[in-house]
Amino acid sequence: MTGTKKGIGMKYAAGIDVGSTQTKAVLIDPARAVVARTLIDTGANVVRAGQRALDGILAESSVDRADVGFVVGTGYGRYKIEAGDTQVTEISCHARGAQMLFPMTRTVIDMGGQDTKAIKVGPEGDVLDFCMNDKCAAGTGRFLAGAADVLGLSLDEIGEISLRGTKPIRLTSVCTVFVESDILSHLAQKKKMEDILAGVHEAIASRTIGLVRRVSMDDEVTFTGGVARNIGMVRALEGKLQTELNISPDSQFIGAIGAALFALDHVFAAERDAGQVSKEPAVWVDE
Amino acid sequence: MSIEQIIQQCHDVLDLLPSQALAKAREKHPNVGGFAVFPVYAPAEIIHAAHLMPLGMFGAGNKVEISHADSRFQSFICSIAKSTLELFMRGEMKDFTGAVFSSICDVARNLASLVERNAPDLYIEYMHLPQNMNSAATLEFTRAEFERFRNNLSKHLGRPITDDAIRDSLELYNKVRSLVRALYQEREDRPGSITTAELCAVVQAGTQMMPEQFVELLTPLVELVKAREAHERDSVNVVIEGAFCEQPPLGLIEVIESAGCQVKNDDMAIGWRLFSDDVRANGSPTAALADAYVSRSSYTSVRHDRDKPRSDALVERMTSCGADAVIFAPAKFCEPALLDYVLFRMKLEEKDIAHLKLEFEEKMWTFESARSEVETFAESMLFD
Amino acid sequence: MRTEVADDKDYRGEIHELSRNIMTDWMAELKDATQTSVPSAYLMISGNCVEILRCFDILPVFPEINALQLAIRKKSLPYIIKSEEIGYASDNCAYVKADIGFTMCGGVGPDGNIPKPSVIVCNFVGCNVYIKWFEHCREMLKVPMIMLDIPFVRDGVPSQDDVKYVLCQLNELIKECETLTGKKFDIDRLREILAYSARAEEGWSRAKELCKRRPAPFDSYFDSINMMGPINALRGTREAADFFDAVVERYEQMVAKGMGVTSDERFRTVIEGPPPYPYYRNFRNLFENWGAVAVQSTYSTVGGTWEFGFRHDPKNPLESIAEQMIMHNLCNRSMLDRYKQIKTYIEDWNADALVIHSIKSCRLFSAGQGDMREYFAKELGVPTLMVESDLEDPRYYSEAQMKNRIDAFFESLQYKRIREGEPAPAQA
Repeated sequence: MTGTKKGIGMKYAAGIDVGSTQTKAVLIDPARAVVARTLIDTGANVVRAGQRALDGILAESSVDRADVGFVVGTGYGRYKIEAGDTQVTEISCHARGAQMLFPMTRTVIDMGGQDTKAIKVGPEGDVLDFCMNDKCAAGTGRFLAGAADVLGLSLDEIGEISLRGTKPIRLTSVCTVFVESDILSHLAQKKKMEDILAGVHEAIASRTIGLVRRVSMDDEVTFTGGVARNIGMVRALEGKLQTELNISPDSQFIGAIGAALFALDHVFAAERDAGQVSKEPAVWVDE
Repeated sequence: MSIEQIIQQCHDVLDLLPSQALAKAREKHPNVGGFAVFPVYAPAEIIHAAHLMPLGMFGAGNKVEISHADSRFQSFICSIAKSTLELFMRGEMKDFTGAVFSSICDVARNLASLVERNAPDLYIEYMHLPQNMNSAATLEFTRAEFERFRNNLSKHLGRPITDDAIRDSLELYNKVRSLVRALYQEREDRPGSITTAELCAVVQAGTQMMPEQFVELLTPLVELVKAREAHERDSVNVVIEGAFCEQPPLGLIEVIESAGCQVKNDDMAIGWRLFSDDVRANGSPTAALADAYVSRSSYTSVRHDRDKPRSDALVERMTSCGADAVIFAPAKFCEPALLDYVLFRMKLEEKDIAHLKLEFEEKMWTFESARSEVETFAESMLFD
Repeated sequence: MRTEVADDKDYRGEIHELSRNIMTDWMAELKDATQTSVPSAYLMISGNCVEILRCFDILPVFPEINALQLAIRKKSLPYIIKSEEIGYASDNCAYVKADIGFTMCGGVGPDGNIPKPSVIVCNFVGCNVYIKWFEHCREMLKVPMIMLDIPFVRDGVPSQDDVKYVLCQLNELIKECETLTGKKFDIDRLREILAYSARAEEGWSRAKELCKRRPAPFDSYFDSINMMGPINALRGTREAADFFDAVVERYEQMVAKGMGVTSDERFRTVIEGPPPYPYYRNFRNLFENWGAVAVQSTYSTVGGTWEFGFRHDPKNPLESIAEQMIMHNLCNRSMLDRYKQIKTYIEDWNADALVIHSIKSCRLFSAGQGDMREYFAKELGVPTLMVESDLEDPRYYSEAQMKNRIDAFFESLQYKRIREGEPAPAQA
């Protein structure tokens, strides 16, 4: 195998997840332990965001750039990361990251501002199948933001409030365009805010179930992405799926962790190429 | 019984899921089977003659939450296709013998395949209704198509469907259709004698029961409506066009009439009242049905007629019922209705006829924006 | 090993050139016809009877090809918007909208590239939008319309009644053509034309057969467009028949030398659904990046499923035309028949995966593809990817999303291979 020899004798691997709003980076050591993480706003300059995030984890860990064997970029901005050695899609990264945090993960639900994904995961964190919402149903995060806006609430509080709902309302559609008028009609009918929010969360949850069904659901289910911090969404999904969801405090970093794991494969592959024996199998080799 | 009580009965029927409607029919017709008819048209007489209740498959309105069908149909597919598939996938139709679909649009043709695959125990028929009314072979082909359906159904049931039985059913459905025509005529002649929301509830409910029961319900209703006082209102006379397949929620119809429009004619559930007069009940019954379909059908968006473009037919319908404007009510994502809208609109603008487009979905439940649109429209017409 | 393909990669080869030449000649003929009184007829691609028109020297004109060309030249959007201005919905088929917009802007007629047809022949073959489209053309152009109502395949094979109905309509069409052109129907001429059709169909079939070889000599999705023009628009001509002889010769040479369309064929796919014409090359690059070659495709069989053996028969001219219109094209067959077709492709052409391109415009193709995905992925265990955009409307193509899904899919296939012990592919 030819290609990069950067990994020889080096220890650390980095993953950078450049999302539309936030960029996350993670540094792991050869034992797969996370040694540093950083989260910054992506801002207008995607190239710089990647570099800044990498600088962030280096600063936090006091690891030298030269000691980082390989850097994998993921997320929508992955092709713009100059600091990265290669790119892997966030779908593969989420599967890999979720499996590391919860080794029994077989299904991943990733819900972000842009889209929702359901991923069927093999025992080694490999993607067996995946499905993403189609365009008209895109933007779960935005849908929630729209709902919060109409009600004059912040995104962080709507989940909590929705749990108090006892009679969830039924929405016409999970469409960002209609959510506002839908909710206004309910308000006009003097429906309670918590019931409206419960309905909003239920509507997204049933939409998501359709997606999960497409890849077929197996236990355990790990819930990742920004929306995983919304307790209302967690409970609504758990209700529909009839199972408890794995949620990691690191859920925002799962993509970056997955990317770092792919980077670590490269580190090991390079070491093996150089004649050094590694116990780890090379599961990913990419240029 | 009063009109209100009869209408309430119809609403109760419309609240039932297909399996419940079948169970209810069995109270009076023990052992009767069920057979679903997806819009727009299928010869219900043949189904009825096989001792099955022909059930109008109008999706599931607001009754069922879609959880399976969403993974099969994309978001740009109409609601009725999804809710219909959902009913089959969740086992709601398991007591039915099967269902018939026809060549109305590309979604319906694929839906028939999906139902066939996902409800493998049922007999699913796909009927090719003719689109060329001018060939020397059309009538014979149509008859043969109805015969094919009859033979397939008979084979599936393992019992004959006789000409006599079909002729009896023809007479029964002729009765149903003539009573429904009478109600339509009353609404047209004496607006308010029956509201359009009431009329729609009756016509739709009639497709969820045995025709024998429907006649029992309709006969007194027609008399009551004839005797009911009708109040003249200051409103715009309209025709509703575009709702020939998926049905608008009755709430939307109410809004149209309460916001200043009087509906004089419409194409809702039109497949169940397609013929302008009685179908011949002597001679070959399939030939009689073919003749009615080819020569005496109302125009619809799913039937091509070389000699009579639909836009001319719409204007004719308006003229004959005295309407001044058209409300287009296409179901969301309905390709035939949305495409026809363009030519209808061209024709109406050429003739300087006012029109309003109101897209709907069977599961919609809030009509406030529709109300303000209709109000504005009616005001602009009345105070012009 | 995944090398990003440059956006300007040139996929054109000898066959592309040949195809372009004969299609350009045909389009020049169309342009000339805008200035003359040569009789012409609108016709749809799927299961058509172009041979009958040819027999009367009526120039066939295909609005679908017009729409396709507007899209691939990135000219469709202004026409689509033009149509939406007069009431077409965002959910309507964009092929229709582009063609109608083009017509409204004077593209059809003496000032345009396409002659105003003398007659519209609507071959209703499965696609219900065909009828609407032609009704709209009739209204806009004020041209008479003849309907050919082709019964859908409902019981596996057409019935006697189906065939009788179609034959009667074909004879009625012939009468109309006689009136239009003043020419007498010459069945021997039709036989000659059908012999050319059969020769082209044979060539098509042999070419497609060659894609069973590893590596495949051409991409049966992206390169099939070079063969679709000639077989759909020019079927029944000597030019088309000769073209297919050249196609077979060229691809046989490639197979003999072990040459594939891509230097490194790593994944063999079957692609279902029409391509995103406004981003044709971009879309192709996303597969080329992974060494993924389509060895079969359903879209290429819209006009005819020739690879399954049907040939027009000069000995039974009208009967074989009728049979082809009813039975031997993708559009007039059910979704479940399409599942069977794809299954055969996957098995006999040794494909690794199924890619479904779900397009919003064409519900004939797309409605229910989620079920197709379910069937192949879950029941047959075929890795299946579903992506979505449109064949005509550039607004529905999101490159980032498309790339993301395609990359993730091939990443997972590759990972699986490595896990199953295959050595990692050589690096580019």
